[in-house]
Amino acid sequence: MSEYICKACGHIYNEDAGDPESGLAPGTRFEDIPDDWMCPLCGVTKRDFIPFEPRAIEAFTPVTSGRKALSGASHYDLVIVGAGTAGWEMAEAAREAWAECSIALITGCSGDRYDKPLISVALAKGLTPESMVKESGSLAAQRLGVDLYAHTQVISLSPSQSRIRTTRGSFSYGDVVLAHGARARIPEGLSPRECWRVNHIDHYRAMRDEVASGLKDILIVGAGLIGVEMANDLALVGHRVVLIDAQHRPLAALVRDHSTLEPLMQAWASLPIRFIGGVEVSGSQSGVDQRKSILLSSGEIVEVDLILAAAGLLTPDRLAESAALEWDNGICVNPQTLQTSSKHIYALGDCVSVNGRVSRFIEPIRRQARTIASQVAGNTLVPYEVREVPIRLKATSHPITLSTSG
Amino acid sequence: MNARDPMAVATPTHALLQSTRDIVRAQLSPRVSEIDAGHYPVEILKALASAGAMSAHLKAPHGLGDFGLAIQAMAEVSRACGATGFMVWCQAVCGLYLQEAQSVQLREVDLPRHASGMRVGGTALSNPMKSYAQIEQFLLSADPVPGGYRVSGTLPWVSNLATDHYCGAIAALNGMESGQELMFLLRCDNPGIELKACPSFSGMEGTGTYALHLKDYWVPESDVIASPSRPLIKRIRSAFVMLQCGIAAGIIQGAIDSMWEVEPQLGHVNQYLDDRPDALQAELDSLLERVLALAQTPYDDRDEFFVRVLDARAHGGELALRAAQSALLHQGARGYLMSSAVQRRVRESHFVAIVTPAIKHLRKEMDRLTREELPA
Repeated sequence: MSEYICKACGHIYNEDAGDPESGLAPGTRFEDIPDDWMCPLCGVTKRDFIPFEPRAIEAFTPVTSGRKALSGASHYDLVIVGAGTAGWEMAEAAREAWAECSIALITGCSGDRYDKPLISVALAKGLTPESMVKESGSLAAQRLGVDLYAHTQVISLSPSQSRIRTTRGSFSYGDVVLAHGARARIPEGLSPRECWRVNHIDHYRAMRDEVASGLKDILIVGAGLIGVEMANDLALVGHRVVLIDAQHRPLAALVRDHSTLEPLMQAWASLPIRFIGGVEVSGSQSGVDQRKSILLSSGEIVEVDLILAAAGLLTPDRLAESAALEWDNGICVNPQTLQTSSKHIYALGDCVSVNGRVSRFIEPIRRQARTIASQVAGNTLVPYEVREVPIRLKATSHPITLSTSG
Repeated sequence: MNARDPMAVATPTHALLQSTRDIVRAQLSPRVSEIDAGHYPVEILKALASAGAMSAHLKAPHGLGDFGLAIQAMAEVSRACGATGFMVWCQAVCGLYLQEAQSVQLREVDLPRHASGMRVGGTALSNPMKSYAQIEQFLLSADPVPGGYRVSGTLPWVSNLATDHYCGAIAALNGMESGQELMFLLRCDNPGIELKACPSFSGMEGTGTYALHLKDYWVPESDVIASPSRPLIKRIRSAFVMLQCGIAAGIIQGAIDSMWEVEPQLGHVNQYLDDRPDALQAELDSLLERVLALAQTPYDDRDEFFVRVLDARAHGGELALRAAQSALLHQGARGYLMSSAVQRRVRESHFVAIVTPAIKHLRKEMDRLTREELPA
């Protein structure tokens, strides 16, 4: 028995059933149907039918109900946007502060929990992306009693209606916490389709698959913390790295005293890392064997297998713009309360800015989550304090404390 | 409330909206049930077109270059009759194709007749729009021949048609890579095309909807709207989708009207229902404000802008479903009569939710456009 589907309307012709109303007896094979036969539903001809093969749906569970089991719910006391460290810390803190709170956590990825700082030391430590996941999104959702909407994009917010719109429907909310983080900036002269990124474990996994087939020539654009750590990690397992930056020295924005970097530079002398300072990418061209020729602003051309963007992060502004939130390099928040310019919308982590300054470190996130949770739960405010925290370069055998920042 | 000026929606009524209302009251309102059941109101469409209700978005001298006004005029029509509102949209987007056409003949001969309502047309872009969004395959195919193209294939249902009408259509070019499609004006009175009646729909039967069978249909160069078509589609995709918000807004407003209609008698029990008219009106006003803001820059071709348009359109579909459903509940048993306006409007709201781009297509496309693009 075979089935054929109408390309126009989706009607399925089943050979066993035939089409008795049009004179096709049960058992009529598709090839025996006359050419002037028409789709009984929409009237297109036999030519517009093709063999039917069910289309596979990606194998994931988009919605996990937590212990409050509100699948199909249209209201949540708290909606958290994003399931990185900030999103999950927020869910933990909210559950602790308010046991009965109904919580939705909405994320474009699977929602699996992992330690992002491990990404830049994973190769040298022999960690696979799978081994870096410490708890699956659905297990975390069940443990915390959170409804997890995975693989779901948040499209807009309407503060006047207290509604949040997503690619799996819209919800009304009591409070919203934006924890959607930032995205890797695509360097000038390159397109998103040619730059690998490591700001998310899914993106890192894709890059790991790409470098798994042998030792590669890799261009890393940007010699900040992530660029330097990735260069170090990739080179330690034998990949050949060209690291470039517009500044003349690596980590120029973080290190005032260059002697701090001496031990690292000495270690690099024996690794396949070449640093080129004071240059940017001027253009790229596809070469043979899927290699790329990258033209640098110095006029030099480097031939590589892949390009990794490590030129900083940019915060997406779609949600902030839809809710007309104040914006300055990120979502403006009150430094004590982490409230945005809209009353029931808070933000934390990589997407916030205080007086135009962003902070993209892990340490403040848990304290930020507690501050927001205290307000959402209606408890006494636990004010957030901007603290100086040490920034450490994770270069495996040469960890270095660079500077401090809040 | 957010900081936007609520007066943006309540500006003084434009003369065009007043004349649209007059035609709706005098000619359209008495015939809405007939149109729902199958009467194709070509005379009303021509009256609306000659009043300018289908061309406000077109550039001068054929229109006022005002998409917001075009959307509001469409909403005035849809408030009384969703089917006619949909045909206003068909005529409006077909006008857009003619205005943007590469063919001088289409721009200079066909467009003036179209804008004035002397000629009527539709749009057969449901299938190509779904093809671009990777949901369907192209159903028409074209072979380039000297002086033009030969097109064959079948389209299942195309609206606002009659034997002397036309529609914008897109065919895949045989032997060419995807991305090389042909967009052309398909004239229903030419040889090589056959209009076939469709099976019964659950409502909106008077929309002149037919299956089109093409066999070696001849497209002269002078009927080419764009080849390749993708640059034009990218340029007008936001305009195409945002204009549909006028249909949704009108159906929602009509549903809210039906709720107020029974408030004096039934308000004492209706107060227990979800989605009361004042709450729906506030949501509609805020949606319309968003749409009118988007209508200021209809040709913005960035993905970020298109996502905002898709989101507004999806919101319109969802709110139409909620409002029509609630209007039925507000009217109670009399709303369950087959002749009831709210009964008809429930079916019209289903149409807004499933016509291309349907709510599910909008969500899939927003998902695609908001994901980070990675190396393949």
